[in-house]
Amino acid sequence: MFFLGLFAALLISWVAIVLGSNAQLGSQAPYYDDNQGTAFPQWMPGAAARGQLVYRDLGCAACHTQRVRRPDFGYDRARGWGERQSVARDYLYQPWPQLGLARVGPDLANLADRKPTAPDGDDLLHMLYAGSEDMPAYRFLFEERRLGSSAQRSDDALKLTGALEPGRGREVVPTARARDLVAYLLSLKAQYDYPEAVPYVAPRAEGAAPAKTPAAPAAGAAAPAKPAAPPTAGGAAPSPAPAGAAAPTPSAAPAQAAAPAGSAAPPVAAPSPTPAGTAAPTPSAAPAQTAAPAGSAAPPVAAPSPTPAGAAAPISGSAPAQAAAPAPAHTGGSQ
Amino acid sequence: MKPEVTAADSSSRAPLVLLLLSGLAWLVIGGLLGFVASIQLHSPAFLSGCPCLTYGRMSALAETAFVYGWLANAGLALALWVLGRLAGEPLRAQNWALFGGVFWNLGVAAALAGVATGDATGFELLGLPRYVHMVLLFSYAAIAVGGLLAWWGRLRLVSYASQWYAAAALFLFPWALSIAHVMLFSAPVRGVVQSIAAGWYAQCAWTLWLAPLALSVAYYVVPKATGRVLPSYEFASLGFWCLVFVGGLTGGRHLLGGPVPAWIPSVAVVSCALLLFHVFIVLLNLRGCLTGPGVALRFISFGLAAYGAGALVDAATSFHAVAAHTQFTYFDEAQRELALYGAASAIIFGGIYFAVPRITGRAWLSGGLVRAHLFLTVAGVLLLVASLAGAALAQSRGLADPAVPFAEIFRHTRPWLAAATAARAALLLGNIALAMNFAGTACRFLNASEPASFNPPTAMEAPAP
Repeated sequence: MFFLGLFAALLISWVAIVLGSNAQLGSQAPYYDDNQGTAFPQWMPGAAARGQLVYRDLGCAACHTQRVRRPDFGYDRARGWGERQSVARDYLYQPWPQLGLARVGPDLANLADRKPTAPDGDDLLHMLYAGSEDMPAYRFLFEERRLGSSAQRSDDALKLTGALEPGRGREVVPTARARDLVAYLLSLKAQYDYPEAVPYVAPRAEGAAPAKTPAAPAAGAAAPAKPAAPPTAGGAAPSPAPAGAAAPTPSAAPAQAAAPAGSAAPPVAAPSPTPAGTAAPTPSAAPAQTAAPAGSAAPPVAAPSPTPAGAAAPISGSAPAQAAAPAPAHTGGSQ
Repeated sequence: MKPEVTAADSSSRAPLVLLLLSGLAWLVIGGLLGFVASIQLHSPAFLSGCPCLTYGRMSALAETAFVYGWLANAGLALALWVLGRLAGEPLRAQNWALFGGVFWNLGVAAALAGVATGDATGFELLGLPRYVHMVLLFSYAAIAVGGLLAWWGRLRLVSYASQWYAAAALFLFPWALSIAHVMLFSAPVRGVVQSIAAGWYAQCAWTLWLAPLALSVAYYVVPKATGRVLPSYEFASLGFWCLVFVGGLTGGRHLLGGPVPAWIPSVAVVSCALLLFHVFIVLLNLRGCLTGPGVALRFISFGLAAYGAGALVDAATSFHAVAAHTQFTYFDEAQRELALYGAASAIIFGGIYFAVPRITGRAWLSGGLVRAHLFLTVAGVLLLVASLAGAALAQSRGLADPAVPFAEIFRHTRPWLAAATAARAALLLGNIALAMNFAGTACRFLNASEPASFNPPTAMEAPAP
């Protein structure tokens, strides 16, 4: 009995934490964007996947994280590490996600997409070779070699100056591992603003929002909503079923959106990349489908309405199945 | 006076001395690696020219040597000793334990070689390359089988808290490691679920393996050394089951604000708070250690204080508002050192000081070395945790202000990190003192020319000056 109890305890925590999250995220699908005609995230290039192994075996994650936190939690956005938080879908195709636990150095989740200036390959190679006050140099990723008799420098030789400059007739070239590592670092960027990654709006703004903001979100919503609206209306008009089918696009979102981000998402969802209407490439999250329209259908309905949007959205979203017919009518009217 | 040393002690010398000796060797090696890594934190250029000595690998090496070399070996030795003694008969399956001990240490050595040459996995507390997992699993099972046989074959029907903790640690670790192996290596889960699974394993390794190993020692030594029944002992089982059921759920606190479902850190917050109940009961039971005699109890009192403080800090930093400042800073490392060094290691040190005279039948070689070790451990851990917390404070202030570049944060944390290096040097010196003392005691024991002089147990614990 004693050992059964021990085993049950271990099993409970494993099932709850690991299998629970695997059930929630394990079947997550890439997000298909109708307008761009492609799915996100995209596969890592081969060199980047090899570079991730270099990153892992050198233990870069001991000092660098790769996860941007929500704009309202911490300093991540203020430091220019990303406009939105990292979400599980960002790591979908990474063989070994390197989330990291320490920020001795900066976060790298969005390194290749930093604003205003993102480092390019030469910058990164130079940084790896030279190191800095607070980062070691990784000289062993480079090869210093003598120039041939022709004295022609290699194309990929580092352009070094000052103390770092190799002697006359010598040059420093990156090894294959260094090039892979840089290819990996350059592949680190938030490729797409997934619906679940829309910046979270602090709930305390809700009370104030209805007073003055309805005009702004509505105006913002009108523009992006237009291209998406016709297919939605067309699909939804014949029967409520296709309206339900429109939902899966922000597919795995509902499950995750149960988290705080979800409740505030509807008002913001409109300015984000439009939830593409009939495109439903991912038949995921079947039981959640009825709940899903809540998130996607609510904004068009709620935006034109003069009622306080923040409070209305979750309520109107709770019965989207029956409201499927009126919903497209409203959106049609808003155009 | 009836000698307290029984046949259970003298007959099980060989495997226990092997495990303790190798554990202490890894302790010194791990301390050296940790010392180098801590120098690299404030002087990044130090030894950075060689790929096997970069900080990332160095810190993984230090952690692996410390956890799988030192804590595992010494903790297993003491768990076997406790279970064997409480079973009331000599330890069985000793050859298995010897055999397993040899292969466990070969496996750890292979793991270190693998990490140094580029097979690190990058997971916290699971830096072991995948090819050593099977060796470690089977050798662990070989070592543990003696302990489990002692549990099943015990002469008395009743069991004690120290037996529960020891048996739980022996039984649960292989399951956790094999689950982690399947989910992270042989059939890896996708994306961030890997990080969740790795966090779950790291937490299980602490709450279901290392902490129970240490607590089993504390629950055994404290009543023995004080000579008193544990107060409020009837609640001990509640504390035990609280740890076992809740402990595994607390791993998600490091993922707060991360790209994982929000319920994972939320569950961890609740579980961290629940775990305080377990800590409360442990401290309630073992509070007698503060007043008892002997150097073993000094170590254990310090370890239990660190255990309680660590649990409080874990619970506090799992909250959103606190984590906003402490997350990703040196505070994580301070907490880890408080748990692994301040709590687990100190309690195991106390257990070693209590057990070795009984196992070998000899008093400690040098009382001066024992006192030096006690002083260096207490001072080293306090200084290490305080300086890392100071570094974390400076780092957290700098990070919060986007105008402060990383080079400036580095300059602010540098003095603190230098103090942490000094603390690691003190700890390393203390560990060398313990290793020398143990080796000397073992040599005296092996030296047949010296007549076997028996000292009564009380004299053994408080070594002759």
